Amino acid sequence: MRLELRDITKRFPGVLANDRISISADRGKVLGMLGENGAGKTTLMNILSGLYKPDSGQIFIDETERTFGDPVAAIEAGVGMVHQHFMLVPVFDVVEAVALGAETTKDALGTFDRAAARKRIVELSERYKLDVDPDARIESLPVGVRQRVEILKALYRRSDILVLDEPSAVLTPYETEELYAIIRSLAADGTTIIFITHKLNEVLEVADDIVVLRRGRVAGTADPKTATRQELANMMVGRDVELIVPKGPAKPGEVVLSIEQLFVRDDRLEMAVNGVDLEVRAGEIVAVAGVQGNGQTELVEAITGLRTPDSGAISIGGKRTEKWGPRQVSNLGVAHIPEDRGRDGLISPMTIAENYILDTYHEAPYSRNGVLNLKVVRERAAQGVKDFDIRTPSIDTYAGALSGGNQQKVVVAREFSVPVQLVIAAQPTRGLDVGSIEYIHRRLVEQRDAGAAIVIVSTELDEVLAVGDRIAVMYAGRIVGILAGDDATYENLGLLMGGATYGEGTAA
Amino acid sequence: MTAAEAALTMRPEGLAARKALRNSRLRGAAFAVFAVLAGYLASRSFDVAATFSFWIDKQGGETATLSTTVGAMWVVAAIATALVGVLQLRSAEFRWRRWLLVAIAPWIAALLGNLLAGKAAVLTNVLAGSLELAAPISMAAMAGILSERSGMLNIALEGKMLVGACVAAIVGSIVSLATGNAVLAVLAAVVSAMLVAALLGLLLAWLGIRHKVDQIIAGTVINIGAVGITNFIFLRILSRATEYNSPPPVQAVRIPVLADIPVLGPIFFVATPYVYIAYAMVAILTYMIYRTRWGLRLRAAGEKPAAAGTVGINVLQIRYRALILAGLISGLAGSYLSLATSSSFQLQMTAGKGFIGLAAMIFGAWHPVGAFLAALVFGFADATQSLLSILGVDVAPQILQSIPYVVTIVVVAGVVGRVRGPASAGQPYEQG
Amino acid sequence: MKRVGPLLRRILVPVLSVLTALLLGGVVIILTDFDNLQKIGTDPLGTLGGAVQGVLNAYGAMLAGAFGDPNRIITALQTGNAADIARAIRPLTETLVSTTPLIFVGLAVSISFRAGMFNIGGDGQLMIGALAATASAIALNGVIPAWLILIATIAIATLAGAAWGFVPGFLKARTGAHEVITTIMLNYIASLFVFFILTTSPALRAAGSTTPVSKQLSSIVDVPNLINLPTIRLDFGFVVALLMAVAVSWLLFRTTKGFELRAAGFSSTAARYAGMSAGGSMMLAMSLSGGLAGMAGGFLVIGTVGQLSLDLSGGIGFNAIALALLAGLRPSGVVVSALLFGALTQGGKRMGIDTGIPFDLLLFIMALVIMFVAAPGLIRSIWRVRVAKPAPEIAQVSSESAGTV
Repeated sequence: MRLELRDITKRFPGVLANDRISISADRGKVLGMLGENGAGKTTLMNILSGLYKPDSGQIFIDETERTFGDPVAAIEAGVGMVHQHFMLVPVFDVVEAVALGAETTKDALGTFDRAAARKRIVELSERYKLDVDPDARIESLPVGVRQRVEILKALYRRSDILVLDEPSAVLTPYETEELYAIIRSLAADGTTIIFITHKLNEVLEVADDIVVLRRGRVAGTADPKTATRQELANMMVGRDVELIVPKGPAKPGEVVLSIEQLFVRDDRLEMAVNGVDLEVRAGEIVAVAGVQGNGQTELVEAITGLRTPDSGAISIGGKRTEKWGPRQVSNLGVAHIPEDRGRDGLISPMTIAENYILDTYHEAPYSRNGVLNLKVVRERAAQGVKDFDIRTPSIDTYAGALSGGNQQKVVVAREFSVPVQLVIAAQPTRGLDVGSIEYIHRRLVEQRDAGAAIVIVSTELDEVLAVGDRIAVMYAGRIVGILAGDDATYENLGLLMGGATYGEGTAA
Repeated sequence: MTAAEAALTMRPEGLAARKALRNSRLRGAAFAVFAVLAGYLASRSFDVAATFSFWIDKQGGETATLSTTVGAMWVVAAIATALVGVLQLRSAEFRWRRWLLVAIAPWIAALLGNLLAGKAAVLTNVLAGSLELAAPISMAAMAGILSERSGMLNIALEGKMLVGACVAAIVGSIVSLATGNAVLAVLAAVVSAMLVAALLGLLLAWLGIRHKVDQIIAGTVINIGAVGITNFIFLRILSRATEYNSPPPVQAVRIPVLADIPVLGPIFFVATPYVYIAYAMVAILTYMIYRTRWGLRLRAAGEKPAAAGTVGINVLQIRYRALILAGLISGLAGSYLSLATSSSFQLQMTAGKGFIGLAAMIFGAWHPVGAFLAALVFGFADATQSLLSILGVDVAPQILQSIPYVVTIVVVAGVVGRVRGPASAGQPYEQG
Repeated sequence: MKRVGPLLRRILVPVLSVLTALLLGGVVIILTDFDNLQKIGTDPLGTLGGAVQGVLNAYGAMLAGAFGDPNRIITALQTGNAADIARAIRPLTETLVSTTPLIFVGLAVSISFRAGMFNIGGDGQLMIGALAATASAIALNGVIPAWLILIATIAIATLAGAAWGFVPGFLKARTGAHEVITTIMLNYIASLFVFFILTTSPALRAAGSTTPVSKQLSSIVDVPNLINLPTIRLDFGFVVALLMAVAVSWLLFRTTKGFELRAAGFSSTAARYAGMSAGGSMMLAMSLSGGLAGMAGGFLVIGTVGQLSLDLSGGIGFNAIALALLAGLRPSGVVVSALLFGALTQGGKRMGIDTGIPFDLLLFIMALVIMFVAAPGLIRSIWRVRVAKPAPEIAQVSSESAGTV
């Protein structure tokens, strides 16, 4: 079916999320929708799925105007969603998770007709080669399979238009290839596909048409056969982007962080870090690349003292720290910029001043003998706000009231308010606008040049390539290769992230 | 084999696995210690007779008697405990929670024998009494399961039961005064108790969903308000005009045929209708929650509401309905207290039964059958207390009365095993 | 003048909450006045008048019971007759007497709330504190001088309450058991335990008494009175309560421990990332909370009442929750709210005596107060005013806690 949106506008308090967006996708075609965070992709998708109502504009399916008051209407019109964060009940099995909301019943009691649902799911998965065990519990499935369940969910509802939101975010390059194959076969079968992403490579790879969104508007369209990466990037950001962070060559000094044969388990007691060896020297940035969920989180938690390793050694500045807690590690001069800043890095209902001393409140000059010196706290916090260009009405503003970029600046200002020898930055720019990203990168490079050892964990290849002096790639809990920044390319990193060992090009 | 799997098989031993193994061994050792303790107690009590009798067909009729010694009962307890201990030591993955009952049951029996110290006891009433006392707790647990499965915490069960008990007493008295028809009065009493408690359930849902009041605070509002208003009504009206606090009692009903089964009949099939309703409720809820479309959606709302919302399920409506239904059930449970136990309303007569119901829910892992079995244990603890005091066994009543509360703390603290509740219970859900 | 605006906005919701709750309490009074309601068929206007009169009588008695008669106070002061002065100011001082334990327990609830713990166990902690004070006063009688007994009993009461409060804090930190259930269960256990001791211990039990009460303690030890007049019971416990408010405020906002406690209360994960121990904060907060409640029990049993009985706490724990929420969990606000609640309590007793309207109506009104404070949207739609959101601490008790309910 042909999908067309005309002049869709959606306004939130203070934000024009979608501004007269018009796009169309023909039957059996893949429309790649490109845009950075905050460009309005998710809002548009929520309008398509009936979760939001547009303020104005029209939606046409096969030239008939449709209005989606709620998700049911969208589903009935044939629009199916594959959400970035999977919408599957973890304790359900595949049959229950797929049928939820579209259950058939077999009697007056409303008994769920499981056999019928199972039969249909098996048929669909055979027809579209979506290999899934219908009786497996969702939480026991790997992410790649869960995504297939999401696609099955849409097909189960006879969707002719499939919207995929950042579908590759959690997939390995190999799984991503499999996903492309599924998309192509669905399109060949007549399904219309909207593929939302912020990754340039993906739209070039899989889309028939490309539309680029920027700040809630259509910034332009492109033909994947002729468009280049640089053109698309410029269109997405609106000016010539510096894909390279301005920095001189690294001058590595002493080893600051040394990790030997580290093994760490995750919350489900499975081995997440599987024998990692890594050395990071003063004055260099080591970027740890990898698809999400390959042990990076647990590695960071082990280094910062938040998680006790099973075995192995961690030394920071010559001291063995693998059994230390976060306070002791931090006292060594280790700055930690946590992955989930809203949850772990800041306390939203506390003020900027309070957040500024969140991990140094127990030390002079902020306190003495357990008594806070509020005057000094306020002075230093005000200085931090000035130094780090944090846009806020006052230091008494709640941290939760700041924008994402300013929140991250509060975290960085705090972490860099004391001398550091090691910086652990996990996904430091996730969800930030381009200006804030550049700012954070510049600050990290400054710390490097001042002689700190820096570890940046990132799932974004662009970020890894831009800031890493050396790049370590994690796969299945191990470091499968370390490249010099200059030698790294999308291609060789992509291979490593998929589990290939450097130099061999074969799966481990 | 993927790299991840290979690595896992390479190093199966780790801190966490070692911890799990150590816990398992500790647990096994604890069972062993208890088994030895039971053996020791057995060695000291072979000369103490244990005589338990049961009415064969009716109260005060002939009895069937089971004669043994307390020592023999301790031997059984020792063997059962040792068995569970051995199973535990054999495998760290042993599902010991289910087996706990195997060890606990003979322990309770032997302890009872010990306390009786040779006196004969007729157990039919204690067992039937346990079922009776378990009925309101079980119903409270069912109400809790419904609420939490839908994603709403419901600590207000206590307050709803209390108000239900009060309303049932008043309405029952008034209808009985007006019509003289006891059956009609009881029906009116029960229905009005259920309706008022359902309104309180609606209030809880409205505060939690519409006004985003923290669900614990909203529950506390209802609990405190219920104590205030029922105390007030009791002191202002019921204590002075006792004719408004004399509802017709709900009597035990014999189920034809089944009640004639020797020994078992008088225990299970001569009871107030509440007990039969409690049985039925367990069966119905189990089917509804796990086999029907309604149950699938209810569980989805409590586990991952966003997953339900994106496929067009009205999560908030599910939660409202679940809390109203839970209110109806807790009102029914409350009416039991004033109609079936004392035939009048008394100040704060729930005495924590709503919270104990929540503990039964947790112990039963949010499953109706498990919660019912847990409620039976609480009911038995309550019934033993009355038995011992009738027999004049020398234990201070306050100590016995505090047992259910201590057990509730132990259960909630998960000392007897931690289980997972609905993932999203207590978290507000924003519906677009 | 600049600060008047924000202050007004801050107290708008609490003031309207209390007002609305009192109005609804009036409705309850009318609806349960059967004698009056029976006339509705024959004399509707008279019924209406009777209803209004009933409410006015009730709340009038409450007001008089809480504050006394100003003219009478002035006259008595002019005559200078001690007995007259005492009789005239007694309602006022009794209000302060009722306020004292409310300040202690209100602070107890606030401090635990700040740390993300909802302590409903004030009653139990108070009873255990009172029991400990009673037992130690009797045990120390004659061993050490009376003034030392006073200090010792209050200290022991505080420690005992702290220990009783520590249990749910420990269980929450270690096992995730939700404090709402554990503290309520501990209330029942505490009350049964006190009952048990009072019926079985010949050392504590008052000889020849038919009800379970302890011996009179006033012959052993007493808290010195603030005003030396006959029948006036107001003692130094009130001063200590005010000092505790200052101390709690200082602890929460000026010390590193208080900072940790508040941080952990908002976000246990962020606190952990910052190197704090969230579990430690929970245990500390609950111990402090229990200690304050225990101290209240000590002052009640040693000073105000002079004897341990089962109805000593009289629902202070529940009232304290309402007043702590009303106070926005600020120690200064707790003092103001406790004065209000003390007046309501004292007036409520007088209302009971004068009009036969049971004192327990107040508990219902308190529940309504909590509801309105936690759901300011209700106040907004009833009174058509703009209101602020509730304090973030109040908005997120159960969302932050991973406890089992």
